[in-house]
Amino acid sequence: MITLTVNGVVHQVDVDPSTPLLWVLRDHLGMTGTKYGCGIEVCGACTVLVDNEYERSCDMDVGEAQGRQITTIEGLSAIMAPLQQAWIANQVPQCGYCQSGMLMAAAALLRQNANPTDADIDESMNNICACGTYQRIRAAIHAAAAALRNPS
Amino acid sequence: MTRPERELVANGLSRRRFLVSSAAAGGMMLGFSFPLVGRLARAAGAPPQPADAVVNSWILIGSDNTITIYVGSQEMGQGIISALPQIVAEDLMVEWSQVTGMIAPPDPAFVNPGTGAQLTGGSMSVRGYYDALRTAGAAARDMLIAEAASVWGVDPSVCNAVGNGTVVNTQNNAVLTYGQLAAGAALRTPPTNPALTPDSALRLIGTRVPRPDIPSKCDGSAIFGIDVTVPGMVYAVIKHCPTLGGTVASTPSTPPGAIAVVALDNAVAVVASDTYQAMQAAAELNVDWSIPASSADLDSAVIAAQARELIFAPTTAIAETDGDVAAALAGAARQVDLFYDVPYLAHATLESMNCTASVTASGCEIWAPTQAPGLVQLTASALTGLAPDQITVHCTFMGGGLGRKFELDYVSQAVRVAMAVGQPVKLTWPREEDFANDQYRPMALVRVRAGLDATGNVVAWWYRNVSPSILFQRGWIGPNDVDSQAVDGAIERAYAFGTRQVEYTRHTAGVPVGFWRSVGNSINAFMVESAIDELALLAGTDPVDFRRRLLANDARSLAVLNAAATLGGWGTSLPSGHARGIAFHAAFGSIVAQVVEISGTTPLQIKVHRVACVIDCGRVINPDTVEAQLQGAIVQGMTAALWGTMAFTAGSVSPRNFNHYKMMRMRDMPVVTVQVIEGGPPIGGVGEPGVPPIAPAIANAYAALTGTRLRTLPLTGPQSAPPTPPSDDIFADGFD
Repeated sequence: MITLTVNGVVHQVDVDPSTPLLWVLRDHLGMTGTKYGCGIEVCGACTVLVDNEYERSCDMDVGEAQGRQITTIEGLSAIMAPLQQAWIANQVPQCGYCQSGMLMAAAALLRQNANPTDADIDESMNNICACGTYQRIRAAIHAAAAALRNPS
Repeated sequence: MTRPERELVANGLSRRRFLVSSAAAGGMMLGFSFPLVGRLARAAGAPPQPADAVVNSWILIGSDNTITIYVGSQEMGQGIISALPQIVAEDLMVEWSQVTGMIAPPDPAFVNPGTGAQLTGGSMSVRGYYDALRTAGAAARDMLIAEAASVWGVDPSVCNAVGNGTVVNTQNNAVLTYGQLAAGAALRTPPTNPALTPDSALRLIGTRVPRPDIPSKCDGSAIFGIDVTVPGMVYAVIKHCPTLGGTVASTPSTPPGAIAVVALDNAVAVVASDTYQAMQAAAELNVDWSIPASSADLDSAVIAAQARELIFAPTTAIAETDGDVAAALAGAARQVDLFYDVPYLAHATLESMNCTASVTASGCEIWAPTQAPGLVQLTASALTGLAPDQITVHCTFMGGGLGRKFELDYVSQAVRVAMAVGQPVKLTWPREEDFANDQYRPMALVRVRAGLDATGNVVAWWYRNVSPSILFQRGWIGPNDVDSQAVDGAIERAYAFGTRQVEYTRHTAGVPVGFWRSVGNSINAFMVESAIDELALLAGTDPVDFRRRLLANDARSLAVLNAAATLGGWGTSLPSGHARGIAFHAAFGSIVAQVVEISGTTPLQIKVHRVACVIDCGRVINPDTVEAQLQGAIVQGMTAALWGTMAFTAGSVSPRNFNHYKMMRMRDMPVVTVQVIEGGPPIGGVGEPGVPPIAPAIANAYAALTGTRLRTLPLTGPQSAPPTPPSDDIFADGFD
């Protein structure tokens, strides 16, 4: 039995510890906001935060996630609502499939860097968006950074 | 059929529905639906016409005054769940905040009047539904006004729909909400020719209303096909034969950790209690495949060699011709003989193929991300033996469609697995299966022979496209027919060529091919716009000026070209090591031109800094959505232009995952500026026409920067040597 803390809630899951965190979230905890894209840590659709650090959940054994704080897209509003608001204000998503991962990657960036430059964004936002929303993602990250630095 | 429905049908309406559903917040919600046929008048008495036989959408008005507008198209990122309701809401006279868009199930009611089918593609949604939805909104508004007038005992002329979902009595300022009027209004006969809001008074059309689906895509609550969960569901993963064309020789026994293995012609499905267990079991499963000899020909080298013979074949199908192009070419002052080629491409939607199905003796339910819900229903009907009306299709959000989710392979598999195991099943394709079992954008080899007169006018344009036929592979055309998809973007060009001939030679390669965003346009625009650029260079004319001459008699095209040149700063100074390129392409009823600014002295170093994009799409519903579609189209087109290619080796496909299929990422993103021109009717599409120009614009910029012409996509890949014409070819001896 695995004990997982996701978005502040403790769950007990009967699953092999080598199961990727992604599939535990999706199939066992019913938290489908975290997406499967490639299964090999390349596309970033499965990005979550583990102890506030960026993780690609498709390649993290759930056993390694025990005892750590996992934040998924479903819990993002509790820690960084202005980021979601900036995403909406900039009308970022098209199909939306990659956006959970994009938002979590952006949250990880803003946790480390309150005022990222375009170059910082280029370096850290390495997820794939097939719809091509990158320009809006960039604008939304800048807007969210400003909002987080200067909460109204 | 209920009594009111019978009455309404007796009144001459083709279809009428009453909907009762449980409202989230107010108990029962009585709604009514309107027939959204643009030709209501004809329906009243004239013999049924194709467009009269259907009802295109439903407006559901809740007792709480919420407005739900059913959307006949599917949402795959293009924002149609917003744009179609925006059209209805205009004349219905409601506020945008009242409106919810709801993706409709397959039903004749929702057939696109522009296509006669409930398929989402061809950039046809706004184009096809616009007139019918405007009329529907206006008809509903007039019925609500008439009901209010009846309640008040006054003439409708003193009742106004004021834009917030209420009707006001101008004599005494009494107010009734649409929610209060809906049930009564629904019993009224729709007006035959309701007045539409004049352009000068439009409140919503043309404005940047926020898309209602976006918040759910920012908090994880949006449900895509792959997210569907139904009670009692088991999980299946597909494992196709690793060689295209191969089939299951014998069904393997069920491995430990799995519930079942189901043989499906060219694949097996492994069923387990969660996706990961199914994936693991599938990966480790040994399957005995039967590989036909013909699979050996599914090989990039073989296909390319065949194309290089077919490009000179004596027989071909003529797609378009005007004048004696051979004579014109022979008489031209200067000629070019150019060969361009592009590879097969994967769709690579980020959501891989998936489908959830539940089949019982009395019914079948399907949850699918699909561009073709009606075909899903028919497919399931054929597989289960159930009648189509026993098949319920739940259309989910699509994590990208791009043309791939027209196909029914994954749906058929899910239904078959659900039947085999007797439980609801969610079938998911691992990414590797998705890349390796696509229905690929066809490869193509094109020859352009063209001639200029002494003053630089194009007097001969002779174009031959050799490519596999999507339509022939599906049995929709004969072996010697022109595939309209293959030559789309090569024929009906706006350019004033002196004489021209466009030919199509079908390549018989057996690699499965399908519809990839913008279809033939993604291929032919590269050839046409590269060749135009080469002719401009040959004529010693600026590429924009050269195109201006060719478009001199087409004011709308010329306006787009000129606007792009201005937006992109054509002719203004650039940083050292930068150059611009332009491409122009009309498709899907819209006209697009793009100016790119690049740097890079080798193909691998190409960096696209800026893209200026102008579109004339006739009329704009939501400018923000149009801009988003063009930004996205440019990104998809850049992936294809710079890196995209699929390779086949004796039936084996590579790459099989994103680690070897480079896609545009944040660091590759240019600054894209979009300008939208509303040139007037008819409305043009916006989902696809932004894709075709970007590849030639980059290639043209690279030629301007380096003097090297890249005629093979992807631009960073190996460049094909031009094939050698046979001795009897008009160009066999070459030109100066």
